[in-house]
Amino acid sequence: MESDKIDMATKTCGEALMHLLEGYGVTTVFGIPGEHTLELYRGIEGSNVRHITPRNEQGASFMADGYARVTGQPGVCTIITGPGVTNAATGIGQAYADSIPMLVISSANDSASLGKGWGRLHETTDLCAITAPLTVFSAMVHNPSEVPELVAQAFTVFGSRRPRPVHIAIPIDVMEMPATGDWSVRTIPDKPVPGKAAIEAAVDLLSEASHPVMMVGGGAQDASDAVTELAELLNVAVISSNAGKGVVSDKNPLSLTGGVISPAVHQYLGRADVILAIGTEIAEADSFIYDLPVNGKMIRVDIDPARFNDQYPATVGVQGDAGAAAEMMIVALKDRGFDGSAKTTQADVRQIAAQQAADYTPVENQHIRVLNLMRETLPDDAIMMGDIAQLVYTGTPAMPTYLPRTWFYPAGFGTLGCALPDAIGAKIALPDRDVVAMVGDGGFMFTINELATAVEEELTIPIILWNNDAYAMIRDGMRKRNIPEIGVTPRGPDFIKLAEAFGCAGTEATNEAEFRSALKEAMARKGPTIIMVREDANWLV
Amino acid sequence: MTTCGEMLMEILESYGVDTVFGIPGVHTLELYRGLQRADMRHVTPRHEQGAGFMADGYARVTGKPGVCLIITGPGMTNITTAMGQAYGDSIPMLVISSTNSSGEAGLQEGHLHELRNQRDLVAGVSAFSQTVLRPKDLPGVLARAFAVFGGARPRPVHIEIPIDVFSQPTEGINRGVPVHASRPGPSPDAINEAADWLAGAKQPLIFLGGGTVEAAPEALALAERLGAPTALTINAKGVLPRGHALSCSSFIPYAPMRALMAKADVVLAVGTEMGETDYDMYRKGANPIGGKLIRIDIEPDQTARNYRADLAITSDAGLAMAALNTALEERGVRSDMAAGAEVAKQIRTDSEAEIGEWTVEHEPWLNAIQAAFDDPVVVGDSTQPVYTGNHIYESASPRSWFNSATGYGTLGYGLPAAIGAKIAAPDRPVVCISGDGGILFTIGELASAVEARAGIAILLWNNSGYKTISDYMIADQIAPVGCLEYTPDFLTIAKGFGCEATRVDSPEALSEALKTAHGRDIPTMIEVMG
Ligand SMILES: Cc1ncc(C[n+]2csc(CCOP(=O)(O)OP(=O)(O)O)c2C)c(N)n1
Ligand SMILES: Cc1ncc(C[n+]2csc(CCOP(=O)(O)OP(=O)(O)O)c2C)c(N)n1
Ligand SMILES: [Mg+2]
Ligand SMILES: [Mg+2]
Repeated sequence: MESDKIDMATKTCGEALMHLLEGYGVTTVFGIPGEHTLELYRGIEGSNVRHITPRNEQGASFMADGYARVTGQPGVCTIITGPGVTNAATGIGQAYADSIPMLVISSANDSASLGKGWGRLHETTDLCAITAPLTVFSAMVHNPSEVPELVAQAFTVFGSRRPRPVHIAIPIDVMEMPATGDWSVRTIPDKPVPGKAAIEAAVDLLSEASHPVMMVGGGAQDASDAVTELAELLNVAVISSNAGKGVVSDKNPLSLTGGVISPAVHQYLGRADVILAIGTEIAEADSFIYDLPVNGKMIRVDIDPARFNDQYPATVGVQGDAGAAAEMMIVALKDRGFDGSAKTTQADVRQIAAQQAADYTPVENQHIRVLNLMRETLPDDAIMMGDIAQLVYTGTPAMPTYLPRTWFYPAGFGTLGCALPDAIGAKIALPDRDVVAMVGDGGFMFTINELATAVEEELTIPIILWNNDAYAMIRDGMRKRNIPEIGVTPRGPDFIKLAEAFGCAGTEATNEAEFRSALKEAMARKGPTIIMVREDANWLV
Repeated sequence: MTTCGEMLMEILESYGVDTVFGIPGVHTLELYRGLQRADMRHVTPRHEQGAGFMADGYARVTGKPGVCLIITGPGMTNITTAMGQAYGDSIPMLVISSTNSSGEAGLQEGHLHELRNQRDLVAGVSAFSQTVLRPKDLPGVLARAFAVFGGARPRPVHIEIPIDVFSQPTEGINRGVPVHASRPGPSPDAINEAADWLAGAKQPLIFLGGGTVEAAPEALALAERLGAPTALTINAKGVLPRGHALSCSSFIPYAPMRALMAKADVVLAVGTEMGETDYDMYRKGANPIGGKLIRIDIEPDQTARNYRADLAITSDAGLAMAALNTALEERGVRSDMAAGAEVAKQIRTDSEAEIGEWTVEHEPWLNAIQAAFDDPVVVGDSTQPVYTGNHIYESASPRSWFNSATGYGTLGYGLPAAIGAKIAAPDRPVVCISGDGGILFTIGELASAVEARAGIAILLWNNSGYKTISDYMIADQIAPVGCLEYTPDFLTIAKGFGCEATRVDSPEALSEALKTAHGRDIPTMIEVMG
């Protein structure tokens, strides 16, 4: 990296930063330039970094989030101070809630003006305070020489611990200074591996258990093979959160997929005497209920020790990388000659699935019809980005998912409008994979402007639009609680005309065959396609 | 039984709130129970950022706080930008949100919409942010919010209520009666000193800021008594009537005014931050003031920011200017306006010449708005014709020209703020000026405008890209990147949302189209190819 060092000194801080990021493997940044970030853009020009321009910085952070969700690599945003950062806040918040690595680089006002309340353009009282609750750390740079260390710290967060967003703010005057100091790429440590004692304690419980259950979350996404092998060895049913869907394939007879939302699964969970929870928050946002019936002993495998004493305290806490933990448990169980094959787990799983199927409401069955058509048409490794919409809630337990990082419903922050920009980020990251967005008529409006970005970048993205002319989730809540239905039937636009206006295709599917062919055509078309399905359409009711 | 959520709406009504902007969510359902009882208009934006901008537009036109009902987490992060814009421009706004239940708030267990510390997020964009843990605290917290709006420098206030508290009973709670806090008047000693300085001034100069929008008669009387050339910040446009002889319009950052600032022996700055977006847009550095500076501000520490006052008066702008006028009358000051008018005229002509090209490009279109309407509300985004208008446009009345090129300087403000303005003043013509880049930030709000029957006119300045920024890049020898390569078909977009839409190619045609638009009860997009 000696050559980098020599190069950087002739560059401004902003310019050098782009080159440094390239050194860490960054290939793409999402941002909207402004007068305050010009030096960063000078750096983009001289690098191989690709710049994607969303139509609102909220799109930038969602796209970076989508990019990171499908690759595991940090999504990077380059945005202006003030409104650029507050616009991006929602996407940063979503990444924080779901433990997604994201690097937000922003400008800041002139150093001399910070905190003074002078009323500068884009001024904030304290920029880093705004992002503090949404990030692992949020740092204001005072001198260019601090940048390489802060960037190294950021990549350490992404690579070595529970990944979450980091914000680095650079005042415009600092951005223009020469890049002094050592700008070489630093070494990033690996994730910690669990201690032997914790593994032994976990295996003690597991080998004694008569009715164990496994729960998996997003923390296990990179440990699919080991976790699957462990589940098979233990012969346990696997319940996943949204983020854990596909870690154990739904083709595996042990998988209860995103069943954490189903009453039938809650009952089964209540009977467990040992629960092995790997990389999951076991959050209300996934199960839709506050208190899951947890009666057994908890073994929690997590990289974040805070999880061991949350709502579901661990009897055994295994701190470390999920994959390493699963592998160590496999070895320990085999050493003991463990044999779980006598359990009737597969029959249990089939029975629960039958119960789930019987429990679905008529609307959920409509959703399932469309989800099944999608599943049949899409390849196993297709990526599905869901918005906060009823079609997607149903998909949590109902959509068969075969690979990790292919099903996304950002349940935690639960923010409307994430699906389209997240899909854009995913498609930019993995252009050879099929990427589909699933949206409701309400949520789609939040970020419909990003159709322009998808067209600009010629991204093939079928957008499945479930149109019920309502914020149905909220309307249903009002009905249930006897609250007058105010503000829940927003007037919808002519979505097909909008598609045309934005330069993409749009069609309504009015029967199964149309849906299938529309999806196939959309998968073959350059640019996004809106495929609208009306909840009140004949073929669904 | 009256729940906390219902009581909240009733108290808001007692403070004169008639409209709220919000998107309901699982966490705010209980507020909506109260809405019906209070008989309030609920306007649904398509994104909480739209709610905030609409509330801002509503507040700028009426002076009353715009009120928003917002869910925890993403709702709050979505509205933060709008709070930032309102904070930067001292606009009253009340953001009422839910927050996670009291038993779970700080635990980070991954609850729906969880945000580690919501109040931290908005601490810097609000006068205060308060959690209401018990229903009985609510009347007092609301009183404090309205005390800020009525009695202090108005800015957003955030009140968050845990979802479990919303549904708690309120029996036996003493709500009190709404008290309207008045603003403080000036100290007589300070007024006397200021009057002495001004009475002795040979070359006085007045700056009026957004803090004077309620004090147009007092400002006019004072300016005329002193015969002083008077510059208006962007948010003070209309405080002196259009075409007034003493008005220097808003040419503050240009050379002629910078020269005058250095030359004047007493400068009186009222209700103005003297901030960068009005005084130093080209970041040339603070301009020296040759003489003495008197600053009048409702917020005392403001008088020490940017330009330090030689005499600082903490007061409501109108009360202080009225007192000054009386004190000057007692001192027998009555100047004829001729000298001041001569200076003002020179400033206007020389500044227009300095702006040059841009004036030529944009002025005819701005004039077309004035040809169509006597007293329109013009709401702008951060786009080139708005920047030009910020200097040359003269508004007929206060609260009638505002945009997001000041202060926080965001994009996507114009459309939703214009909707809020129209909801506040349904009979006035409301014109939004937005660029092709800016309007995409919040384009979904076209649907809200149709739904709310807001007959606004949208002048879309389409130059196919972030021209402001690509101009900067070219000037800085950076190859333009990220300034938009694809421009959608805006007229079809507008029609897809159920609006009227047309393109015009002359200022005359714009005038006609604006008039037609004003007669409609849906928005009209009028595209001008910039
Ligand atoms: C930013 C944000 N605002 C509000 C909400 C509350 N909310 C949750 S679901 C929902 C309705 C979404 O409507 P739509 O996208 O049409 O989906 P549907 O429920 O009709 O399937 C709303 C308003 C939210 N989750 N996020
Ligand atoms: C939220 C936000 N992001 C970025 C900017 C930087 N910015 C200022 S003006 C501008 C271009 C706006 O484009 P458009 O609306 O088309 O107006 P034009 O400059 O072309 O007249 C940009 C990107 C900003 N002010 N606010
Ligand atoms: Mg819907
Ligand atoms: Mg433009």
